[in-house]
Amino acid sequence: MACTKKVILLTGGTGLVGQGIKSAAEQNPQPNEEFIFLSSKDADLTSREATKSIFEKHRPTHVIHLAAKVGGLYGNMRANLQFFRINMSINDNVLSVSQEYGVKKVVSCLSTCIFPDKTSYPIDETMIHNGAPHTSNYGYSYAKRMIDVLNKGYNQQHGTNYTAVVPTNVFGPHDNFNLEEGHVMPGLIHKVYKCKENNTPLTVWGTGSARRQFIYSLDLGRLFLWVLREYQETEPIILSVGEEDEISIKTAAELVAKGFDYEGEFVYDTTRSDGQYKKTASNSKLRKYLPEFKFTPIDEAIRATCQWFSEHYKKARI
Amino acid sequence: MENGYQEKVILVTGGSGLVGNGIKYAVENGEQRKGEKWIYATSKDGDLTDLESTRAMFAMFQPTHVIHLAAKVGGLFGNLKANLEFLRKNIIINDNVLRTAHENNVQHVVSCLSTCIFPDKTTYPINETMVHNGPPHDSNYGYSYAKRMIDIMNRGYNQEHGRNYTSVIPTNVFGPEDNFNLEEGHVLPGLIHKVYQAKKEGKPLTVWGTGKPLRQFIYSRDLGRLIVWVLREYKETEPIILSVGEEDETSIKEAAEKVAEAMDFKNGLIFDTTKSDGQYKKTADNAKLRRYLPDFKFTPIGEALKETCDWFVANYETARK
Repeated sequence: MACTKKVILLTGGTGLVGQGIKSAAEQNPQPNEEFIFLSSKDADLTSREATKSIFEKHRPTHVIHLAAKVGGLYGNMRANLQFFRINMSINDNVLSVSQEYGVKKVVSCLSTCIFPDKTSYPIDETMIHNGAPHTSNYGYSYAKRMIDVLNKGYNQQHGTNYTAVVPTNVFGPHDNFNLEEGHVMPGLIHKVYKCKENNTPLTVWGTGSARRQFIYSLDLGRLFLWVLREYQETEPIILSVGEEDEISIKTAAELVAKGFDYEGEFVYDTTRSDGQYKKTASNSKLRKYLPEFKFTPIDEAIRATCQWFSEHYKKARI
Repeated sequence: MENGYQEKVILVTGGSGLVGNGIKYAVENGEQRKGEKWIYATSKDGDLTDLESTRAMFAMFQPTHVIHLAAKVGGLFGNLKANLEFLRKNIIINDNVLRTAHENNVQHVVSCLSTCIFPDKTTYPINETMVHNGPPHDSNYGYSYAKRMIDIMNRGYNQEHGRNYTSVIPTNVFGPEDNFNLEEGHVLPGLIHKVYQAKKEGKPLTVWGTGKPLRQFIYSRDLGRLIVWVLREYKETEPIILSVGEEDETSIKEAAEKVAEAMDFKNGLIFDTTKSDGQYKKTADNAKLRRYLPDFKFTPIGEALKETCDWFVANYETARK
């Protein structure tokens, strides 16, 4: 069985997570696995016909489904209807065409931002549908939640093994480093790079005391491959460092500064919101399966990402 | 632009079903206004799972208003078997209708949800703010999530495009033109059909389940009057529950007894407890409705059941069963 050829199709393969999976696969290749990294240039997944064409072309046995319409806070707030409809369309096309082409395993990608807004912490995999998500991105959130509902339907009706992962804050090479649209870590990286270039102090929004769990895209990639190969449940699995490895925004900024050998001053703009103090996600399910999994130490991961950013500044998404 | 003589064209999708006929009855018995044209579309007029077919239907009828009732529906056992289909088909139908309505500049759409889509683990009575507060009952999660997404899309269209798309939440509807099929239909039409058969065969009535679950039943003709009111007057995005009050909840056993009475059935009742009961209680709060319409009078249930049973007996050959 280990020698059966696997053709693994990755939608959204050129993004942050897709490239993390690529690096992980290249570090630990399996001879029977062939990976195909798709981008929007290869197919418009909002079209069922286009989705079928790409499946017809590649005949995958497995799918890692990362493609989505994504955006930062302001992008979402302006266009919840679009975020909902486009993502619903993409997800339904990918899952229904997968089933039609006999794909037995699809691993989709959710996010901790789709969890209920009013909730207790730490959050875990059983809590996804337990209340309405935050109003700022309800369109994106509900579309992602419907992946989990579809997975359940397909597995019950067709005996497939469709499932999903829930990463916490991902960072790494190939991220979106745009200061308006991007997330906190790439935002800090982009800012420190410019502050070093211009010899200016770094302004960090908020008090710096808010705490987050960050996961390096390469580690996420390694875990994605494990989920693809071994994880049999329908219920999603949170992929994250544990609560003990939560770091403050202040610490994150300090590590980014180290990553660039930046020695300028830090200024905390406390007129800016901190957001939530903690959004702890439980990784106990992951730890039950993989008690020995070692995450890349965060200072190493941040330094590697800073290096990548410096080397690829001209081509990075900024 | 508002002109009393400007024709309003109200398209009712799923117009030949239970609720569609309830609306039709209400419109033809007092609710119709001058300048209104009512169209009751059926699956023969277009396949709403197909976007082009939906567009063709709208092009043909040119509606200014839409009451969207069309859906893939089924009773407890129908849903249990095919949640994926119920989810996908209904999502596609709803997306096609709302987007095509929007494309055609339809300002008002009233869609139809159901109390069965509410969270399974919940406090009672349930109200309109609670729709998304937790997962629905496992037996019909596909149908439930698809219906919930109507509410999400209504919000999106209203926020982004200034529409007035909303929805109603009836409790258990019954009346003429229902689906009386014993596998697919709901509890009251199922009981009516069973009593009819049992009477003919000289046997007692077998009721599925323990008879203990409680339900609020709403007569389709009362629901019709209320949906017409919602279309004309109700401006909120948030749904509105359309139901008799909690004080008028009925157990399945009691419902069976009333049907027997309406059909003059005297062979007795048996409860098959090997069959599932479904949810025990789904008490819905009609306080919002009562705030808007404190004086609305529902048809007494005995009378409504008598009319429905009489209709079934008179139309047995052609009734959906």
